[in-house]
Amino acid sequence: MELTKNITLGVYLPGETAIHRLDPRTKIIAATILITLLLFIKSYEAYGVFLIFTAAIIIVAGIPFSYALCGLKPMLPVLILMWVFQLFLYSTAEAEVLFSWWLFTATDEGLHMGNLITLRVLFLFTVTTILTLTTSIVNLTDGLESLLKPLRKIGLPSQELVMTMVIALRFVLILAEELDKIVKAQMARGVAFDRGNFIQKTRKVFPVFLPLFINAFKRAEELIVAMEARSYSGGKGRTKMKTLHPGRIDLAAGGIMVLFAALMVYLIISAVPRV
Amino acid sequence: MNLSVRKIVISGILGAISILLGVTRLGFIPVPTPAGHATIMHIPVILGGVLEGPVVGLITGAIFGLFSFLQPGAPFFADPLVSVLPRLFIGVVSYLVYYSTKKINNVLACVLAGAFGSATNTVLVLGMATWRGYLPAEVSLTIGFLHGVPELIVAAILTVILVKGIQRIRTSED
Repeated sequence: MELTKNITLGVYLPGETAIHRLDPRTKIIAATILITLLLFIKSYEAYGVFLIFTAAIIIVAGIPFSYALCGLKPMLPVLILMWVFQLFLYSTAEAEVLFSWWLFTATDEGLHMGNLITLRVLFLFTVTTILTLTTSIVNLTDGLESLLKPLRKIGLPSQELVMTMVIALRFVLILAEELDKIVKAQMARGVAFDRGNFIQKTRKVFPVFLPLFINAFKRAEELIVAMEARSYSGGKGRTKMKTLHPGRIDLAAGGIMVLFAALMVYLIISAVPRV
Repeated sequence: MNLSVRKIVISGILGAISILLGVTRLGFIPVPTPAGHATIMHIPVILGGVLEGPVVGLITGAIFGLFSFLQPGAPFFADPLVSVLPRLFIGVVSYLVYYSTKKINNVLACVLAGAFGSATNTVLVLGMATWRGYLPAEVSLTIGFLHGVPELIVAAILTVILVKGIQRIRTSED
């Protein structure tokens, strides 16, 4: 049971490619546009174009495909199960029946819904993974802080909220290692995590959770002291040693993004609504 | 609104635990229903509300929701109205329940906060999923019963154990 092996969230793959060199703000805005588009895509043609676009980004960024997708591995069984359930459960009165067996009836509506939703999950996952794989956490913070700065005017502590997100992302990996140690320690004491029924499995979670939370809270106290000792004060009157400067490459990326978004919007609007 | 360093750090770390439970699948207890699994990913959010107040509960809930939207564990979470919005209420509800019952008994308050927090998650998420048309109402009710009840029990027990554990450490350090 290797828990940390398939975690790609919050991992940064250093590189010198065009995608890596983009201003983090460009990347964050682009990712937001892609995610928003995903919420509206309802046709396979649009997903096809989207697939080509994401694949192109992965190639340009020089991320090995196997690595970009390995975070999906633990999700696969659930995704397949979900797809099957959508297939059998989702239907409307006028849906065409594909086949039925015993209590289960598969309709074309269900198939379509299952496909669309599964594709959306896969792409959401890939887009966010690409963003964190090609953007270092420092850049991500700077970018988000700078983008959310206007929210300060309406009273939202945007810098502090970004800091919270960054701590969360950072600590996923730190706590994952800790969790690994706890699980191994418990296994060494003879706990078999993969055996037993629902109740037995649930009971085995308790001796893992308590040390995990207590260690996390201890780390939190240490971090609070460390941050207070350095007089962390959120966004008030803080300046940056390195400021962000969008360059020509960002303009080019922005142009590509606008063209792609326009194409997607066209595909979404022109898609024949399925009955 | 002003956020102290304490609130920032604790919401961040609780959010991290919630994400961790998601990526390692440790937060999922397999139950064979259309939603796939019962979850304990919302426990950090409940703890945030109980131990640090409504603001931390809200922010931790937002991180949990955002994560389950961006790296969805079930297809209908790929909609922010189902994944993010309901999660904002978990911590706030837990806080309100805990503080209104704390005077009676600390353990009872923890049990209730865990149970109500968990129920908030189940009811609002499934309600939203039904309303947005991802699940038929009967299926939602079945899932709500099959998942909601075990989740509620696990959440109540875990909240007591964890809150007591952390409170003990805190008093011993003071």
